Amino acid sequence: MNYTFQFGVALESLPALLKASVLTVELSFFAFWGGALIGLAGAAAKTFGGSVVRHLAQAYVVFFTNTPALLQIYLLYYGLPEVGILLPSFTCVLLGLTLNAGAYLTEIQRAGFLSVRQTEIEAAETLGMSLWQQIRFVIVPHIAKTIYPPLANMFLILILGSSMAAVFSVDELTGTAINISTETYRWLEMFTLVAGVYIVLTFIASLMLALVGKRFFRVKARVF
Amino acid sequence: MLERMFNEIPRFFEYYSAIFLLKAMGTTLLMTLLGVGLGFLLGFLIVYLRQTPGMLWLPVRVIAITYVEVFRRIPFLVILYLVLFFIQAVSPNASLFTIATIGICMLSVAYTSEIIRAGFESVPRQQVEAAAAMNFSRWKILRKVIVPQSWPVILPPAFAFMVSFIKDTALVSQIGVVELTFAGKVMNNRGYSALLVYGTILILYFILSYPLTRLGAHLEKRLAPTKDQ
Repeated sequence: MNYTFQFGVALESLPALLKASVLTVELSFFAFWGGALIGLAGAAAKTFGGSVVRHLAQAYVVFFTNTPALLQIYLLYYGLPEVGILLPSFTCVLLGLTLNAGAYLTEIQRAGFLSVRQTEIEAAETLGMSLWQQIRFVIVPHIAKTIYPPLANMFLILILGSSMAAVFSVDELTGTAINISTETYRWLEMFTLVAGVYIVLTFIASLMLALVGKRFFRVKARVF
Repeated sequence: MLERMFNEIPRFFEYYSAIFLLKAMGTTLLMTLLGVGLGFLLGFLIVYLRQTPGMLWLPVRVIAITYVEVFRRIPFLVILYLVLFFIQAVSPNASLFTIATIGICMLSVAYTSEIIRAGFESVPRQQVEAAAAMNFSRWKILRKVIVPQSWPVILPPAFAFMVSFIKDTALVSQIGVVELTFAGKVMNNRGYSALLVYGTILILYFILSYPLTRLGAHLEKRLAPTKDQ
């Protein structure tokens, strides 16, 4: 192998990468919360909804979890203009990631709903707890304990998944790396550096998620 | 506006596009099977190395653990680019299919080894100690005690992982392997409506993934009772 590694050019572009990583975090953050809202509605529909609503939610989940997120964004990105809707590429990617995450988050939150047993709520009522107390001391701790670890995991998956935006010329971490590499031809060095940035980024994220989980929900989430 | 799409439908679903798409579907499936299958075998090796005893093997353990932790934190697209440019620097004649399969393998090792480790740890510690007391070698303990009891725990999540990876291989289209997503891009470039092309590809992925997902769920149900005998 006669390839000489030269990290000089790659290291010079580190500030640009760090700036781009803000967009990566933004993308995964909004996709996560958007998906969480869709997931909440979906989980409520699947748990409490009538037959039609339940089947609709189920169809949404089955369809979006069995097809690639990349193709879903392709369809939005190239398909929507054909019916006359023109969206900027960032919005398209965000919409695709959100819809995709929503399907997975529906299943996660449904598991949370199922973790609260009717008998426990009845017991709380017997003890004379108000509705607020029931939510605060019975329902939320149960749900948090069940869904916090998979939610934290989903956020990390979204950070990694947001790299798909590079395909649609959104200049987040991977996209910026591709742009710079096409000018400098230092692909290997550049992508080694980007991989490092992703590792640091996800590590910070999982550390913060573990701290929040421990402080507010008394949930042990693993950092490693 | 959708008129254009409907006009194209008879032209789109002709014999040659069907052959082209089916071939691409085969490539997607083959790539996933090879990549994750190899990843599964190497995952066993990683777990075996992680559980080596003594100070002598410490560097090997550190490398194995670092590999798993690092590769679970890098996006698949970045790994693909790294593998692509590394292999092209080493041997410029490697086919794109090989490169993609190696990329899939490198990522799936990190995930399958965690699945295998969880399975191995589900076997009660006392049994391993009992086997060691009976002077079983490490290899023999693995083969006679751990693997027979842990495969029902390993198989369902491993299968689910493989099925979920069929979807992740869509990203391989970015380095130019002619699989399902790339086939979609080719058809779109030939001038067919994007809505029609990508809609069809989406459905083909669904046809590939959904039955396997159901099979995985079935497998999990079948194997579950043996877990808590």
